[in-house]
Amino acid sequence: MDDEAILNLYRQRQNSALAETEAKYGRLCFSVADNILQNREDAEECVNDTWLHAWNAIPPEHPSVFSAWLSRVTRNLAISRLREIRALKRGGAEIPLVLEELSECIPGGVDPQKQAELRELSEAVNRFLAGLKPAERDVFVARYFYAASHAELSARTGWTLGKTKTVLRRTRLKLQKSLKEEGLC
Amino acid sequence: MLNRDQLFDAMDGIRDEYLSSAVDLLGYAKEDNLMILEQHKKAARARKAGRMILIAAVIVCLFTVTAFAAGLFSISTRVPDAKETFQIHWDESDSGYLEWSDAKLVLTFPEVTESREIEFRPGWLPFELPETLAGSSPWDGITAETWFRRFSSESLSWPENADHYPSEYGDIMQPIMIETYSMAQFSDGGAMLMLYQTPGEITEEHWDKLDADVLSFHGKQHFDERDIPELDMHLDAYDIDYDYVLLSNEEQGWVIEVCGQLGMDTARKVAENLEIRETGSTLRQEDFQNKYLFIDGGVG
Repeated sequence: MDDEAILNLYRQRQNSALAETEAKYGRLCFSVADNILQNREDAEECVNDTWLHAWNAIPPEHPSVFSAWLSRVTRNLAISRLREIRALKRGGAEIPLVLEELSECIPGGVDPQKQAELRELSEAVNRFLAGLKPAERDVFVARYFYAASHAELSARTGWTLGKTKTVLRRTRLKLQKSLKEEGLC
Repeated sequence: MLNRDQLFDAMDGIRDEYLSSAVDLLGYAKEDNLMILEQHKKAARARKAGRMILIAAVIVCLFTVTAFAAGLFSISTRVPDAKETFQIHWDESDSGYLEWSDAKLVLTFPEVTESREIEFRPGWLPFELPETLAGSSPWDGITAETWFRRFSSESLSWPENADHYPSEYGDIMQPIMIETYSMAQFSDGGAMLMLYQTPGEITEEHWDKLDADVLSFHGKQHFDERDIPELDMHLDAYDIDYDYVLLSNEEQGWVIEVCGQLGMDTARKVAENLEIRETGSTLRQEDFQNKYLFIDGGVG
């Protein structure tokens, strides 16, 4: 089923929207979550949260590229989950709850200035990515958005492990230079 | 001050088209890739846990072999058919070309329109360079600080300046030779050819320190026992053995050959310790007369 048909199912509030999404993008979302969490159960839970988020967000949202939208949702949920796990290890079970409770004191839950800075940074990253060769860009995004391992990237590109790491290191240095030139670091 | 968490979070704003393209590379949306992905994930976890070092080593080897087989390494090698003929530019022949068949190995490189010219300085040699070599031109004044584009026994002023040449290598024709090449020379179907020696097992690596793909192998040429009646001489059978280390950087388009008769460990150590820099010039194919070169033609 194509993406527009699946999105129509969401708009019509039909439960089959979730089954179709899982059939088409379950693998993608699981891979994204598992790369970050490195734990099958946590990753599966994260994917289920992604479906719930999609159900609640569409409509009104209308993703232009559904796979990218789902990747972002899954990644954000997985990162949040990872930070919770780390906080649990550092400060016991109460810390995440305390932080959650404190977040209610912040109007809107977001800092507009921070959001603007983040957007500016994202735009700078996109400008940088636009100047890369497609192969370099794919590997960079696969590593730093999807958190793919070096071994996986090596297998996918056909490059040696050493070359994969070198290409990534070179790209990071270019990004550092680019961000410095834009006055962002 | 920007920190890594902010940069990581900013990746969330990467354009949809770039995310989709990376997913295509990763194959996450394809069912037929489930098995291979699971295998890679398991291997990565095994390495991370440090429990199955052997499995990791096997997988790394597998990737190397795969890259080699698929020709994705920046140097591609193939053994040509004995009848395959290479038309080599040769001014001294009437046709202007030399037809060469029976090449033992063909090395090809990515097509590049221009290469950055480089030069090197050996950081380690199996013998000490004297402070100044007083050989004939163009080798006058060579010191350990000299930058080279070609370094061979000629540059050691041998044999005229035999005092500077280690006596233990006196019966070896070429202990170490180092030479730079440009990928641009080999574009449009050109190649480095091994004409005489038969290559042994070829190893591929990547050296981060020099940012180079590295290919190494042993070359051997056998001569049967024979008589030379004109000289009333008898020659026993013998072999000529060389070890080759080829470094290449696809992005800058350069190739460096290190070869010699002092063993692979020595050749590798010389190669590993090279200091490489750009001269600032670029080279294109029209800067060269020939799109073929002989990897074993300049030695022995």
